[in-house]
Amino acid sequence: MFEWMVWTGPTAAVFAGLGLLLCAMTIWARVSPPVPRRGFLRIETDRGDRLYIGLISGAAVLAGWIAVTDLSMWLALAAAFLVVLAIGIWG
Amino acid sequence: MRRLPWARTVFWLYGITLMLPLLWMFGMSIRPNQDILGSFQLIPQRVTFDNYVTFFTDSVWYSSYLNSIVYTSMNAVMSLVIALPAAYAFSRFRFAGDKHLFFWLLTNRMAPPAVFLLPFFQIYQAVGLFDTHLGVAVAHMLFNVPLAVWILEGFMSGIPREIDETAAIDGYSLPRFFVRIFLPMIRSAIGVTLFFCFMFSWVELLIARTITSVNAKPIAATMTRTVSAAGVDWGLLAAAGVLTIVPGAIVIWFVRNYIAKGFSLGRV
Amino acid sequence: MTAALPSRTEQRREQRTERRTRRTRRTAPSAEDRAPGKRRANRAWLLVLPVVVSVAFTAVIPLMTVVNYSVQDIFSPNDRIFVGLEWFRSVARDPEVRAAFVRTLLFSAQVLLLEIPLGVAVAVVMPRRGLGAPAALVLVALPLLIPWNVVGTIWQIFARPDIGLGGWTVNNVLGLDYNYTLDAGDAWITVLVMDVWHWTPLVALLAYAGLRSIPGPYFQAAQIDGASAWATFRHIQLPRLRGVLTIAILLRFMDSFMIYTEPFVVTGGGPGNATSFLSILLSKIAVGQFDLGPAGAFSLLYFLAVQIVCYVFFTVLTRTGR
Repeated sequence: MFEWMVWTGPTAAVFAGLGLLLCAMTIWARVSPPVPRRGFLRIETDRGDRLYIGLISGAAVLAGWIAVTDLSMWLALAAAFLVVLAIGIWG
Repeated sequence: MRRLPWARTVFWLYGITLMLPLLWMFGMSIRPNQDILGSFQLIPQRVTFDNYVTFFTDSVWYSSYLNSIVYTSMNAVMSLVIALPAAYAFSRFRFAGDKHLFFWLLTNRMAPPAVFLLPFFQIYQAVGLFDTHLGVAVAHMLFNVPLAVWILEGFMSGIPREIDETAAIDGYSLPRFFVRIFLPMIRSAIGVTLFFCFMFSWVELLIARTITSVNAKPIAATMTRTVSAAGVDWGLLAAAGVLTIVPGAIVIWFVRNYIAKGFSLGRV
Repeated sequence: MTAALPSRTEQRREQRTERRTRRTRRTAPSAEDRAPGKRRANRAWLLVLPVVVSVAFTAVIPLMTVVNYSVQDIFSPNDRIFVGLEWFRSVARDPEVRAAFVRTLLFSAQVLLLEIPLGVAVAVVMPRRGLGAPAALVLVALPLLIPWNVVGTIWQIFARPDIGLGGWTVNNVLGLDYNYTLDAGDAWITVLVMDVWHWTPLVALLAYAGLRSIPGPYFQAAQIDGASAWATFRHIQLPRLRGVLTIAILLRFMDSFMIYTEPFVVTGGGPGNATSFLSILLSKIAVGQFDLGPAGAFSLLYFLAVQIVCYVFFTVLTRTGR
């Protein structure tokens, strides 16, 4: 039935990771409800918003990297991770 | 308020310009093909309704017209039924992840349909919905369910919440309140939502063309495949064009005050 | 100096009242409004569930599939090779894709520059009272309700130099050599004019709705002050249009960024590649060549761009005036 979805190990891992992240955020919100605040993004965000903005920006970093340089994608991944962290903490 | 003295003139000039291409197509549809391809005529010399007759007698044309009407109607009703409770929830309650969900719906309305072509083609074949009316109706829910939720939420937020509370005090349960009191109050919103779902499904070509071949082929796809060995049949194409405008042109009078609201997803 | 002072405080007061009215207007963005009357109830999830399920089927599963396509070279479901990010690399560096990206951005920019001012102008001159008002509304709204492929057909006919009024006029009355099927520049202009014809009414209707919500006393005050029509527009009408114009700009950007049907019908992306926008190129790779891998990678990059713009849209829409 799901053969046409042509799953691979790495993509399955990525989606499983995203699913887990979503669960973790939900549980975290239950334990301590998110508090909206303003950071360097200048708009009011709670942690879910910052996670989303961070992931999108990280993806943009990866896309830009692959379009421009031949340097290893592991470096790009590290850069994207830093972006996610920065936005998550100070955004 | 103050009005510019020539405002009216300028506006009607714009209106005429706006109508010119439309009228030109109508003019094409009522003349024979020899006249179209012959010398250039501003006013049709010979008026004929042959193109319309061909449209209604050739099964390729009228059946694809019917196909479009069937799947757009199915889609509009399905989208509305699914969207109603969700829009109510968004306009009345706060719940975990509500605004993220609301945003996620918007991204589906904004996503380019081209992105979904290949998986749609595979999915609808895998589940046996390829080339069926239901298949197209379900596929168009991709952008119409979000649209319906956003429009309905816009309307529902304009209705004071005190009404819900009063009804609750009077002993109405939520489903009964919703059906007996709330739905009649948002009659116009339901009409507008149905209209916009119908319209956006009616105008969509790319997805509908990709997941159909014969049985559920939409009119839009038939229109883009009119080039035969003898060239394009301009008269017939124009007649088909005029006929596809008819449903919208009929309903437009009733929804004229809500068009801005519908297109702006209920935000105006 | 002393003369300027009172006007500035007046202005500030006006701004303040404006902000207050915007907050109470029922047209304000609402879903994520932290309005005090909204009850917290996670059971509301039950009401949203049908939507979530339907969108999961129509959007999430297809998107997951696209992600899977994008990292493999697929010959058949059982015969496929994992290629990592190779497709992304080749698509992101493909000169044709880059050209289409630039072309689409340029098109969106031109669309906004033409349609927003024109739409506001139409809204200003639209009749607001009497029999003319509903007639004008219907007239302006009509192009919006025409199926997109028929919009293409209309212009395909109208702009032909041999049988179309528009193309014929340009050639024989203005004396220009114009043929959109042969000349790249002409094709671009045709698609642009078509889009302006098709979508300026949307901007006009939104702006019209915005103008109608301005309370009458504003205009009476301007009249007493003897303000000119331009001053009235610049200082009273335009500031009040900010909200609707934001929506108009973002809607027009999104829709022109994914334009497909109209140019597909009129020019088919040609002549050459002159009007092959991102959606046209993508569907050519996807449906025409059935290249699952590159189409998947292309789709995801395209989708990412849309996500970013869409988030900006949403943020501006729900957080302005706070």
